[in-house]
Amino acid sequence: MNNVIECNNLTHYYGTKLVYENLNIHVKEGSILGLLGKNGAGKTTTINILNGFLQPRSGECLIYGENTQKLTPHTKGRIGFLIEGHIQYAFMDIHQIEKFYSGFYPNWNNKPYWDLMSKLKVTPSQKISTMSCGQRSQVALGLILAQDPDLLILDDFSMGLDPGYRRLFIDYLRAYAKSENKTIFTTSHIISDMERLIDDVLIMDYNRVLAQCPVKEFMQDFKQFNFTLDKDNIDLSKEKFVSNIEKVKNDVELYTYESEDFVKKFLDDNGVETKNFKKVKMNLEDAFIGLTGKY
Amino acid sequence: MLKSMIYKEWLKIRWFLIGAAVAGLLVIAYMYMNTQRSITFGGASSVWYNIMFLNRMFYKILKYIPLLIGLGIGVAQYFPETVNKRIKLTFHLPILENKALLMMLGFGTASLLATYLLHFVVFWLLSSSYFGYEITNAALITITPWFLAGLAAYFFVALIVLEPIWMYRIFYSFAAIAFVPLYLNSGMAGAYAPINIQLVLLTLLISVSMLFSAYRFRKGEM
Repeated sequence: MNNVIECNNLTHYYGTKLVYENLNIHVKEGSILGLLGKNGAGKTTTINILNGFLQPRSGECLIYGENTQKLTPHTKGRIGFLIEGHIQYAFMDIHQIEKFYSGFYPNWNNKPYWDLMSKLKVTPSQKISTMSCGQRSQVALGLILAQDPDLLILDDFSMGLDPGYRRLFIDYLRAYAKSENKTIFTTSHIISDMERLIDDVLIMDYNRVLAQCPVKEFMQDFKQFNFTLDKDNIDLSKEKFVSNIEKVKNDVELYTYESEDFVKKFLDDNGVETKNFKKVKMNLEDAFIGLTGKY
Repeated sequence: MLKSMIYKEWLKIRWFLIGAAVAGLLVIAYMYMNTQRSITFGGASSVWYNIMFLNRMFYKILKYIPLLIGLGIGVAQYFPETVNKRIKLTFHLPILENKALLMMLGFGTASLLATYLLHFVVFWLLSSSYFGYEITNAALITITPWFLAGLAAYFFVALIVLEPIWMYRIFYSFAAIAFVPLYLNSGMAGAYAPINIQLVLLTLLISVSMLFSAYRFRKGEM
């Protein structure tokens, strides 16, 4: 399967502040990749580089084999882009904006757009600026669906949306992507949404990539164990197998890629007395916080 | 694509453009009503004497109108592109970025020129109906740099508004404040006759300066 997006050795700084170094991202055709990270981890920076709005200090990103700094109009026509906050031309109404974009895309199909618009309680001449965030999200999504791009880049699509609109957005998007073999690169800070949408996950922390794999594999391999230590002066955070540890007094949440047997054996071999040892079932949000830490 | 770009730009500036065109015509109408009043109550010879020997410009009220129209159209056209960095939407369109920008600039310039031409022609016709060739000709030479000032202001607004860094915006604003008065200096009718062509060339030179701001935006300057 071909890579639609390929970022090789991407390094970027804001002034002297390192955002990331030698970042490599590959997104396969037909897959949905979710880029997760805390605020300031570099999600929007990556989106901006992918769209050619930011020149990385070094390295390169390719989309359909073209450097994103010099995308041809043909390749840009294959990419649907959702800006953080569902930004659109707010001075237009839903008819005007559809008319405007239809002139740029040869495969323009306004049916999915008007299907979505019919669900909104907006008047035909209502300006986008007077719509709610949820309504604007549907306008932005409808325009992308009408464009019928091969690759969708979505920057924090869940921002400002209530749960109903988020669910509508995700269900519509996933069904569309899977039925039409579309590729999606998306970020969101609402991790529970991502679990419903994505195939592959890329988790970034400040300056580094913590995980990049299929989300099922990540959820299977990454584990949480809770236990209570007999003594509170034991520090497990430096151990190689520990991805992250959260400790409140003697109560420990330990996150690792190792098995339950491995952890228990390690604790026994090192004479660490514990009580109430149990493996905790996690959802993607728990796993994300477990991997990146609460702070 | 051109049609779609023109449509977008038209939606942004249409009310201001129509309002400015009408306002300009009203100012010109007011100017000639005043002239008519002076002729009626003071006599034609007095009006003629004031213009020829006292260098009174009966059209002085028009001086800053093109400038204000240029500033207004620039703001109406480019400011909505920078709110929430909406210019990203334009850069993402399947068209070369500079081509998209030049279409925007071309439409704005054409709209401005059409408005100015309307005002210029109406002014010319009314002036010709009241005054002889020499007075009308000197008036047209005098008001030409005022219209060029409006065009220059429009180009400077595009440069300043699209610039991503505030420090640069301030610097460009100072440059504009120093530059635009060059078009509006003299109080003598016809004084700009020797340099009107040079001013046109100068205006053309700054016309595409906004491409530089847009390039800096695309490279992620902040």
